[in-house]
Amino acid sequence: MERRAAAPVAGVGLIALAAATLPLITRDSYYLDVATTILMNLTLTMSFRLQVSTGQINMAHISFMGIGAYASALLVTRVGLSFWATLWLGALVAALLAVPIGSVALRVSGPYYFLITFAFSEVVRLFFNNFFEGLFGGPSGLVGIPKPGRLLGLVFDGKPALYGLMAVLCLIVVVALVRLDYSRFGLTAGAIRQADLVAETLGVNVFRYKLTAFVLGSFVAGLAGVFFAHFRQVLHSSDFGLEPMVLLVVFTVIGGTGSVWGPVIGTIVMTLASELLRELHHYEILVFGAVLILTMLFAPEGLVALSGAARRRLRRLRGRAPAQAGAGLAP
Amino acid sequence: MSIELLVQALLNGFGLAMVYVLVALGLTLIFSILEIINFAHGEFYMLGGYVTYYVYALSGLNYFATLVLAILTVGVAGVVAERLIFHDLRGKALNAFIVSLGLLWVMQAGAQLAFGVLDKPVPSAFSGVVRVLGLVMSVERLVVTLSAIVLIVALYLFLRLSRPGRAMRAVAQDPDAAALQGVNIDAVSALGFGVGCALAGGAGGLLAPLFAVSPAMGALPVVKAFIIIIVGGMGSLPGAVLGGLLLGGVEGLGALFMGSAAVNILGFLMVIVVLLVRPRGLVGGA
Amino acid sequence: MLLELRGVSQRFGGLQAVADLSMTVAPGSIHGLIGPNGAGKSTVFNLITGVIPLTAGEILFKRERISGLRSAEICRRGIARTFQATALFREYTVLQNVLVGAHRLAAPGLGPALLWSASYRERERRARERGHALLKSLGLGAVASQVAGQLPNRDQKALALAMALATGAELVILDEPLAGLTDQEKAETTAVLRRLREQSLTVLLVEHDMKAVMGVCDTVTVLDHGVRIAEGTPREIQTNAAVIEAYLGAEEPGA
Repeated sequence: MERRAAAPVAGVGLIALAAATLPLITRDSYYLDVATTILMNLTLTMSFRLQVSTGQINMAHISFMGIGAYASALLVTRVGLSFWATLWLGALVAALLAVPIGSVALRVSGPYYFLITFAFSEVVRLFFNNFFEGLFGGPSGLVGIPKPGRLLGLVFDGKPALYGLMAVLCLIVVVALVRLDYSRFGLTAGAIRQADLVAETLGVNVFRYKLTAFVLGSFVAGLAGVFFAHFRQVLHSSDFGLEPMVLLVVFTVIGGTGSVWGPVIGTIVMTLASELLRELHHYEILVFGAVLILTMLFAPEGLVALSGAARRRLRRLRGRAPAQAGAGLAP
Repeated sequence: MSIELLVQALLNGFGLAMVYVLVALGLTLIFSILEIINFAHGEFYMLGGYVTYYVYALSGLNYFATLVLAILTVGVAGVVAERLIFHDLRGKALNAFIVSLGLLWVMQAGAQLAFGVLDKPVPSAFSGVVRVLGLVMSVERLVVTLSAIVLIVALYLFLRLSRPGRAMRAVAQDPDAAALQGVNIDAVSALGFGVGCALAGGAGGLLAPLFAVSPAMGALPVVKAFIIIIVGGMGSLPGAVLGGLLLGGVEGLGALFMGSAAVNILGFLMVIVVLLVRPRGLVGGA
Repeated sequence: MLLELRGVSQRFGGLQAVADLSMTVAPGSIHGLIGPNGAGKSTVFNLITGVIPLTAGEILFKRERISGLRSAEICRRGIARTFQATALFREYTVLQNVLVGAHRLAAPGLGPALLWSASYRERERRARERGHALLKSLGLGAVASQVAGQLPNRDQKALALAMALATGAELVILDEPLAGLTDQEKAETTAVLRRLREQSLTVLLVEHDMKAVMGVCDTVTVLDHGVRIAEGTPREIQTNAAVIEAYLGAEEPGA
């Protein structure tokens, strides 16, 4: 039948547990950095996957991260607002801009949508890189962004604290998106992805669904962007360009776009892989590329489907009906 | 701002654009036959550049002979890539995107390891300038532009008149119908991919003397190629030529008024406008 | 009249698919749309359900204009359809397909889905119950957990009908519901259609099986080359000279 209600709770619980135990095991700033980056990437890949679940490959996703980042950086350094306000304001700015951009981009679909969002992302990147240097820092970037200020007496200067902040944000996002995926929203999104014309004739306002996914995903990307700005404390337009966007796509697809858990597996595995490969220096990219090719050839539905495929083979051996695919409603 | 200056700017833009059109044609050919977008296309361009460097610059073989060699070599490389990697990915755009990305990284890192990171200059095959009606063009650029046009025409004739060419058009139009008529889809896919890459390789060989070769040289042409085929229409060959002329003209004129970094934004704005007003492209119908 | 077409025309490129078509569908009836191949029948369905735009004329449903509206809005007004090439969500289970169909009645939103409120859960539970009941009434109760793409043709057609019915529509438009079915399956399906009529649903269908059409329809409209050439009861149509002529060389309308 559909996925059991236990699965999402277990999945989220597992992530929360892993995230919580890490700082107990190590205070090494390197590991905390990697872990923080994984969590940040996870919010980005999960929100990207939300859009993919409605059939959109949004190559401008990273641009909204950038919009949130620059918005917060400027609101804090120029207007003097607190990070705790700009965290939501930055994401809000990203979401507000996502409405007109998404409405325009969603007038086309498929490869044309892919290309128009790619074009948008380049326009946004070139904008941050070449225009209003006084505000955005131009090609040399925007520096001097402060860390988050105090909140309720807690200080956020050190790596563990920042890690904790990102972990909380990530967990909220994961819970929300997993819930959404297991709900009617997820069911309808998958229907749109499979056959949007049929969904439309069944009463689904496909445009509104896709736009909702677009705007919501952009809000989350903006959130991640705000954190990024105050974590790295330096912003450069290349942080929001094709390379990081492509990595997001890779993480998500390698994990598997068919399941809400795909980005989790993909992000963790691929981030760890790239850290490990870093030791190889020149061969890093070569091996990374080879890994991509091999994974796509031998696990076309992503890593997350491997366990499903194995389970299916087991069931067939035992003579039972094959396990089900796709989103579902928890009982 | 004299007329001559404007026309000169246009001419410069067009000349270069014709080579980018070659790259675009290769990309759009692959798209129309295999229904996938090959992100590693720029790497085949780069390969053509390096073949030209090693054969022409170092061994001293005649430039045009080198060009032919580059085209053939890269074409074979393309066939190999299709057989090994892409042939199962017909129509699966997202997976093909990831795979071609992997191939891009493999080829680029491979080039860095094999050839080194630094630019390698390739000597000009032709010197001197040509003056016509107050307009100036270097002989080299003229040869490059004319060679590109020759290759474009050759492609057109190949697709129109030869059997494999017509088979490719049949598959591009309706693969199921083509299969029913006995066309070997696998062979056509491999050949199509090979021809597409060969065009990119030829473009790389043509531009090598102008811009030097480096492992990352494929990035810019492939972006231009994407802009061209979006504007012209994915899967449309006359569209690619039209798109190239348009891009060349816009960028040529734009260079008069703004810095080169800002000129790049023009191409993307063109893309956005086209995708909004006429998503299939100017000549599209794919 | 439940559905009314007034002077509807559709022209695409140089092709006039439908020309000045006027017809009405009475509520609680089973209305057949027939005609030789290429007569424009599927085009009419696409026009009614907003899949393609009209070139001229208007379409009224429950006295309100629906021509020019989005397909989703037309469905919300109370019209559902099936497609000639059975259109399902092939990766989903049978039940999931029907649940998508229940979209119109479940009235979902982002908020309730995120908050997983009690009212949301209740509505979903009821949609599930209705879905199971609907599947059972169409003989699909046993395969509710099967993946739709793996079903045999008869079940796929039944599922498409179930999805259309799940919307709670008053008018159900069926494009060749009997295609590819055995005689036994056809009889079962026409029995289902009669049951729907008893439940005060209205059915508009396109079919090539003349015997079935004449046997189950209350009214039949005949199209040829996008033009209406006859309309009336099955008996009237069977003896209509223009209809017989249109079919000469193709099928003969007959008992």
